[in-house]
Parts: sequence; C-alpha cells; structure tokens
Amino acid sequence: MVTSTLAPPPEGFLAARRRRRAADRDEGGKINWWLTALLIVCSITVLVPLYFTVVTALKTPDQLGGSGFGLPTSINLQNFADAWNLTNFPRALMNTALITVGSVLLTLVTNSMVAYAIARNMHRRFFKGIYIYLVSAIFVPFPIIMLPVVKQTAMLGIDNQAGLILLYTVFGLSSNTLFFVAFIRSIPIELEEAALLDGASTWMVYRKVVFPLLSPMLATVGILTCVWSWNDFILPLVVLSDPSAQTLPLANYVFQGQFNTNYTAAFASYLMAMAPLLLVYLFAQRWVISGVMRGSIK
Amino acid sequence: MTSPTATLAQEPAAPRPATPPQKRKRSGIGRVSPTFYWMVLPAVILFFVLHTVPVLNGIFFSLTNYAGYGEWDFTGLQNYVNLFKDDQVLNAYLFTFGFAIVATVAVNVISLAIALGLNAKIKFRTGLRGIFFIPNILSILVIGYVFNYLFSNSLPAIAKNLGITALSTSILADPDLAWVGIVILAVWQAAAFNIIIYLAGLQTIPGELYEAASLDGARRWRKFSSITFPLIGAFFTINMVLSLKNFLQVFDHIIALTNGGPGTSTQSVSLLIYRGGFQGGEYAYQTANAVIFLIVIVLISVIQLRVLQRREATF
Amino acid sequence: MVNDPLDQVRTPDRSARPHRRRRALAALCTAALGLGGLAACSPDDGDTVTLNFFQFKPEAVAQFDEIIAGFEAENPDIEVVQNHVPNADTALRTLLVKDKVPDVMTLNANGTFGELSRAGVFEDMSDVPAMDTVADAPIEIVTDLGQFEDEVSGVPFALAASSIIYNKTIFAEHGIEVPTTWDELIAAVEALEAAGVQPFYGTIKDQWTVLPAFNNLGAALQPEGFYDDLRAEGDDVGPDSAVSFTQDYREAAEKLKTLFSSMQPDFASRDYNAGNAAFADGASAMYLQGTYAIAPILANNPDLDLGTFPYPSSEDAEENLLVTGVDVVLAIGKGTPHQAEAEKFVEYMMRPENIAAYGEAQSTFSPLKDAEPSTNPYLAGLNDFVAEGRITGYIDHQIPPAIPLQPLLQQFIIDGDTDRFLTGLDSEWRKVASRSSQR
Repeated sequence: MVTSTLAPPPEGFLAARRRRRAADRDEGGKINWWLTALLIVCSITVLVPLYFTVVTALKTPDQLGGSGFGLPTSINLQNFADAWNLTNFPRALMNTALITVGSVLLTLVTNSMVAYAIARNMHRRFFKGIYIYLVSAIFVPFPIIMLPVVKQTAMLGIDNQAGLILLYTVFGLSSNTLFFVAFIRSIPIELEEAALLDGASTWMVYRKVVFPLLSPMLATVGILTCVWSWNDFILPLVVLSDPSAQTLPLANYVFQGQFNTNYTAAFASYLMAMAPLLLVYLFAQRWVISGVMRGSIK
Repeated sequence: MTSPTATLAQEPAAPRPATPPQKRKRSGIGRVSPTFYWMVLPAVILFFVLHTVPVLNGIFFSLTNYAGYGEWDFTGLQNYVNLFKDDQVLNAYLFTFGFAIVATVAVNVISLAIALGLNAKIKFRTGLRGIFFIPNILSILVIGYVFNYLFSNSLPAIAKNLGITALSTSILADPDLAWVGIVILAVWQAAAFNIIIYLAGLQTIPGELYEAASLDGARRWRKFSSITFPLIGAFFTINMVLSLKNFLQVFDHIIALTNGGPGTSTQSVSLLIYRGGFQGGEYAYQTANAVIFLIVIVLISVIQLRVLQRREATF
Repeated sequence: MVNDPLDQVRTPDRSARPHRRRRALAALCTAALGLGGLAACSPDDGDTVTLNFFQFKPEAVAQFDEIIAGFEAENPDIEVVQNHVPNADTALRTLLVKDKVPDVMTLNANGTFGELSRAGVFEDMSDVPAMDTVADAPIEIVTDLGQFEDEVSGVPFALAASSIIYNKTIFAEHGIEVPTTWDELIAAVEALEAAGVQPFYGTIKDQWTVLPAFNNLGAALQPEGFYDDLRAEGDDVGPDSAVSFTQDYREAAEKLKTLFSSMQPDFASRDYNAGNAAFADGASAMYLQGTYAIAPILANNPDLDLGTFPYPSSEDAEENLLVTGVDVVLAIGKGTPHQAEAEKFVEYMMRPENIAAYGEAQSTFSPLKDAEPSTNPYLAGLNDFVAEGRITGYIDHQIPPAIPLQPLLQQFIIDGDTDRFLTGLDSEWRKVASRSSQR
C-alpha cells in the first residue's frame, strides 16, 4: 500500500506523452506574460554567475575591483594562456574526457545488462536478492567508504583513471539498476519470446532486441553518469595518486591553492573547465532535458 | 535498512499492462538461462569488492586504533564511546542537519514553484527550461569558486556602494552567516535537477482534471493543493528524500566556499571525516564516525519515506 | 512458459556464449585499463630512474625547479618529478594510507612530521654525509619532534623565523621606531591609527595565518615546560589541573586579540596571497607573518623597503625571544626502490651553494655549521637574536594535529571570546589525550 504511492503512475510515459499533446493542442489560451517575465527574471539568477565568470576571465588584473560586474574595457586573452599552462589544461581535459567517456560506456553496457537479467528474473529469489542488495546501497553515504576505498584502490593498483572508471560504473550500479529495471519491465516481453523462438540466444536477444529498445533510458543514465563523472571532485581527490592523472576539478583545486591572487587567470581556468560540457549541452539541450524527464517518470 | 529497500524493491513490481503478474508467476517454474547469471555476476562481484568490502572494512577498522598506516590494535567500542563525548562531532552533525534541512526545503519549494511556472502557458518555455537546467551540468567545486569570489568581493563592494553596512563584509567570514552562502550555492545548483523532475511530474497530470476544476471555479491555490500537489506526491517524496540524503553528505560546496570555517562553524560531517581521517591522523576514529553517519542516514531515509508516504496517502 | 522454450532453443550452443561474453568484458576492461595506464605511466622508460619528489612549498616551486635542473644535468640517468599540492599534510597522509610514500620529500618540520617520524615512515638519515655539515641545533629541533628508535628522519634544509614584517618607509614617514617592548608596540599601533595608517593587514580567511602571532605570544608568555606538564596531565587537563590553557595562556590570548583588533575591516575575508599583495602595495605598516612571506611579498613589489623585528611580546626587551624552526626538512620515504638516487639528490640539494641560493630567494637562514651570518638585508633585524641564541621553537608543533588549533584560532579572532577559546583548547587536548592513550 505504501509502495504503490511511491511508484509513479503505472501508465508510463506513452500515456503522459499523449496527454502532453492534448495539453499542447489547447495551448490556444492566453499566454501569461507576467509569469513569463517573472521566470525570465528568475533565470537571470542562473546566468549571473556565468556572466561574471566570462567577464572576469577576460579582464586584466587591474580591471578587477568594485563589484566586478562591469564589462572588460579591453579583451585580455592572456588569462586563458596562463590558465592553460598553469593547470596543464590539455592533460586535465584529456583525463576528464577519458574518465567520462569510459564511465559512460562501461556503465551503459554493464548496468543495463545487470538490470535486464534482474528484471526478467525478478520472481527468482537469487535475482530478487541481488536487486535488493544493489538498490539498498543507495542509502550508504560515501564517507563510510571514503577511507577504505582509498586504501583498497591503491592496493589493487587502480588508483588511476582506469580505477575511477570502474568506481563510477560500480557506484552508479545501485540507482541505475533501479532505473533500468523499472524501464525494462515496461517493455513487452513478447518481442523477446518471438526472437527466442526464432533460435536466438538470451545474449543475442539482449543485444539485438532489448538493448536498442532501452535507448530512452540509456540516454537518461548516460547523461547522469556523464555529468557526475565529469564534475566529480571527491573521488578523484582521494583516489588518484599520480598528479599527472589530475582531472579538471582537481586541477582547479590545486590551482586555487597556489596562485589564487591571479584571479583573472583563475576565472579563465574555471571557464575552460566548464566550457566543454556547456557547449555539448548547448547543442543537445532538448535531448538532454527530455532524457532526464523521461528517466524520472519511469 | 529493510524498509526503504523493500519499498523500492516493490516499486517496479507495480503491475504493467504488458506482463500481468500471473503470467510471470507461471514462468518462474522454468529453469533460468545461465546467461542471465553471467550477465549479473561479474558486475555484482565488482560491486561487492569495490563497495561492500570497503563498507565492511570501515566497520572493522572502526573497532581499532588504526592511523591508516603502521600498526594497530583492537580497541572495541572505544572509538564510539569517544565519539559521543566529542563536541566537535556533535557540532558537525548539528551544522550538517541544519544545513541539509534548510537546503532541502528551499530547493524543493523553489523548484516546485519554478516548475509550476514553466508548466503554465508562457512564452519561451523551452529556452527557459534549458537555462534553468544549466547549473546541474557545472562542477560544484568550480562554480563554487566563482560564488566564493562573488561573496568575498562583489557583494561587499555592492553593499558598500548602497550603504548597507551589515553586508559590507563577506558573509563567508561571518560564523553566523557563512552557512547562508553555502545554502545559496547548494540551492542554486540543486534546483536545476529538481525543477526538471517536478516538470516531468506535472506533465503526467491530465489537463482535463484542471478543466473540470475550472468549471467548479476552484481558486488557484485550491487547484494546486487539491489537484496538482497530490498528483505529483510521488515526485515530491523522491525529491525530498534524495535532496536530504545528498545535502547530508555536503562536501564540495564547503571546500569551495569556507573550508569548514570561520572556526569550525561550517564543518560538515563529510569534511570532518575527511580532515580528521587524513590530516588529523585519526583514521579509525573517523571511520567510526562514518559508521554512525551511515546508521543516521538510513534511519532518516526510512522515517522520511514513511512520513511522506503517509501524507501522500491522506490526500 | 516464458523461459522454458527459450532454454530449449538455446541449448545447442550454450557452451559458446559465456566465452564470448567474457571475451567482450575482458576486452572492455583491458581497453579501460590500457587507456588509464597510458596516461599514468608515460615518463618511466629505459634505464632512467624517476624520483617522485613531493614538495610542500608552493612559493618555492621555481627554486626547486632550478635545483632539479642542475641535478639532472649532473645525473642524466635520473629524472626528478616535482609534485606540489594544496594542503600538503593531508595529501601526504593520503599517500601514506595508500602505502605510496614519495621517494624524496620537502616537509615542514611540524607536529605531523614528528608523528610520522615516530611511525617510522621515513628513512634514517643519520648516516647521510650531508648530515655532518648541519649544525646541532636544527637537528635537535627535528629529533625533538619525534623519533623512530634513535633515527633521524630528515635533514634540515632551511630555517625560518617568525617575526613582524614592517614597511620601513611608512615607519620612517611617521617617525616610528622599531618597538622592543609590548607597550612600545601598542604605542606604535596607536600612533599609526591616529595618523590614519592601517597598522596590520589580516588574512584570516586562511585559518593558518593566525598561527605565527599565536606561536610568538604563546612561546614568550607561557610558563617554562608548559607542554611537558600538559602532556603529563593528559586527559585531566581542565580548569582545575596544575597547568592548562585556561590558566596559563590567558595573557597570550588577550594580547593576540589586541593585535588582531587593529586589522583592516575585511581581515576575515582576505587570504594569505591577497595579504602579501596588499602589504607589498603599502596597505599596512606591519604584517604578522614569518620570514617565508618575504619572498612572495617582494614578488609583488620588488622595490618595497621592508624589515623584520622579533615580537616584543613582554615588557622587558631582554626577555624577547625569536621563534625559529626548521622550515624545510628533506626526507626520504622508507622502502623506496631508488634509495641510492634519492640520497644522491638530497646530497645535491644540501650543497652550500644551493642552500645559500635558496636562502637568498626565500629569505631563510642556513642550517649549516659554518654558515656565514645571513647577509639578507630583510633579515638584518633578526640576526642578533640568532647569533646570541635567543631563540625558541614553534609551539604549534607541540600540539597534536588532531586538535583543530587553526579553526579554534580563527574562531577566536572573529568572536573575541577568550574563555571559549581557552576552554576549547583544554577540552580538545583532553579528548585527544584520552583517545590516544588507548593506542
């Protein structure tokens, strides 16, 4: 009884989409301009820190001071060159990109597979047990594993980028299993049965039939994993041993500790750390948001 | 720990039209394809090694006097006894809870309000939605440094120009106000994601329901409290539980803004564990602290799920 | 019904599939590991030995780069990689937890160093030839912090003093003499304030920047043997014990508060780097920082005419002491596979010309036996104290790292609550003593 309320409405997103279309159709009503204006004002709050980062990154140190919101009087690109060298930007970017791409790919492949096996065998005690085991770990706070994980990754020799990829994949397993299992159980099983009758193996069924059908949820999990592994600070901070493995957030942390009177170069460095994901988001914005929304309705 | 997991476990078991439960039951009689085991086992073993073993490891060392290196002895429950005598630990918990509660409430109220606005008939809906999501893709640490500069330099400068003496020094340097700066950053960053979740929830509500309500002449607030809110109750529950859990583990925000200061006024539990465990050389002691933290978070999550779901049910 | 038929269908090639899956997974793992490995271990090739050199001083990166360049030119088969991180103590402990002690380290000879020495983390340096060139006093400072058996865990490389740095131009402009007693100092502060000059520049956004003043006042005003007595009290420390912060540190705390009450208004939101820049620009007449701050200040303004004088903590000028310590100690990680190369590097760094060059650049004193008195003009005000041996150590090195001394100090400077600060110190001492007595 308690559970049914926690579960989102069972009709799933097809029904939701149908309704949304219906809502779009009667959009004919009056546009609420006051509300539009209010929301635009609110959205400025979001943009202010970004604006501030950009103008500060373009200033020379002697243009700082005051509130700092003024536009730069002359464009100073030297900051970016300084930050590029001081943070060893290409290396940090490579590391972060490698870790992010690796984590997303490994997560999508392995986590969906685990969830598929669980979803189709939920009635068996073993799989149900695995499911509860994995999902209950959502409640384990990171601090308890922080100290031991540092020791263990070093012992296993994975206190490097590869180790981080494994950690993101494994630590994401809990919530991703939850997402994937819910989604897979909404996929009609008939398709798989037909494929099996045609002589396909379970593995082939998963690869050729199920995996393509998962694409909406793969998008959701992919986005969440990407944002997490790109921006995460604490795992790289404690796990990575070799400074040459530094990720972007870590490079900025080190930079902050060392040269923090060089504010303009620091802001150029912040901007460069944020830019790659921002650019991707700019082009894939609709897709990203619908991906996240779909994931949450499941 | 049983309760939340049990409820979550049953969540996907909600009946789906395509696979009625009776059918599943019957299929259970057959043998499982071994491939299914192969699909699960490697990942689960890795999970056990990299997640469960560290948890057990932590619990084990919390019963010792290990410094993280060198020799150690068993000390029984002594670390736990000392924890309860340590006002530093108590203060970290008080700060963390105060912060998490304020941030959770603020984030959910603001996100829900903005989501309602975005769901209404407005212009530029897609563009605005896109803007509101931006903070979610930024690194908390990096944008936190930007906020740090804003709080330390820009705001005092503006306040000085406006003649507001109370704000003419950095709020981050004031032990009574520093937490506000952390809440602002946390809410700014976390609202992005919650808005989208609420928006998704709002779009599951059939428009016809409102039309019927409009005919009744229901006022706006009534419409919200008696139709909208109950229908997105599940989303509210999830957002509240996850927000609180995430905020209880606050770390990056504090590193970027205050480093736990001024004094220890913004020292969160996570920061204390990190600092005491490494810098202070009390690895085992802080691991015991982490075990307590685990128990506290599980308890809170269970209570929260219970309470919120009861509320949902009464609508 | 769902699973039965499929089981039958797929029996024929059952044996083949797990392999394929395993292969796929294996390929993925190797790909991931390979990519990681590629970026992680590029430098080690052929027979060059790479020394991992952990360097704790961000402001001295350039000096050590120079030293490394000279060393590598002499030893083409050794490569030294300098690593510097914020929060060096925490970073080093994290490496210890990982059992990855760096090959060679520069460290501050502080409480953490003592604790790690006792734990036997460092190689014994007593037989290293360079040790014979070092004066006894600095070695004693290092061994006093903590020893593993009778080993010496590090070679002192540079000595620093904690003093008040002052702007000679401002002092001259307002006719102020270098104070030698507490009253003279307060009179100078009042005169400066009356003239509209900022006496001190505070940077307590960085918590540790309260420490220098605390170390000086505490060392001068505490009873003799205070920390030995305190350790003897252990977890009995409190208002009723024979010694305690509450009873014996009140004067030091009050004087500390007085000094910090003459800071600029935003002293709580400025950090160390900002302070160095501001003092270099003449934002204040005095600056409560150690001699290590001279180099970064001059980097901001090489023309600044600055001087140093020891804290006039007491009423009697004869009683003033100079707080000195081993600012940089060189250590080798126990069990390093490159011990010979590491020792070679330490020997190279300890060459008198390198120590002298470093001392010139960073305004430090030489630890060597036959060192000439420092000719560094910025240290002129301190030379007499060093020569006369009127020196004492850093008291914060006596306080276990598990005590949050820096946050407590920062809190005290902001709220000015002396009782709360002193009872806080007592209670933290008591708690940590009781926790470590169970070790």
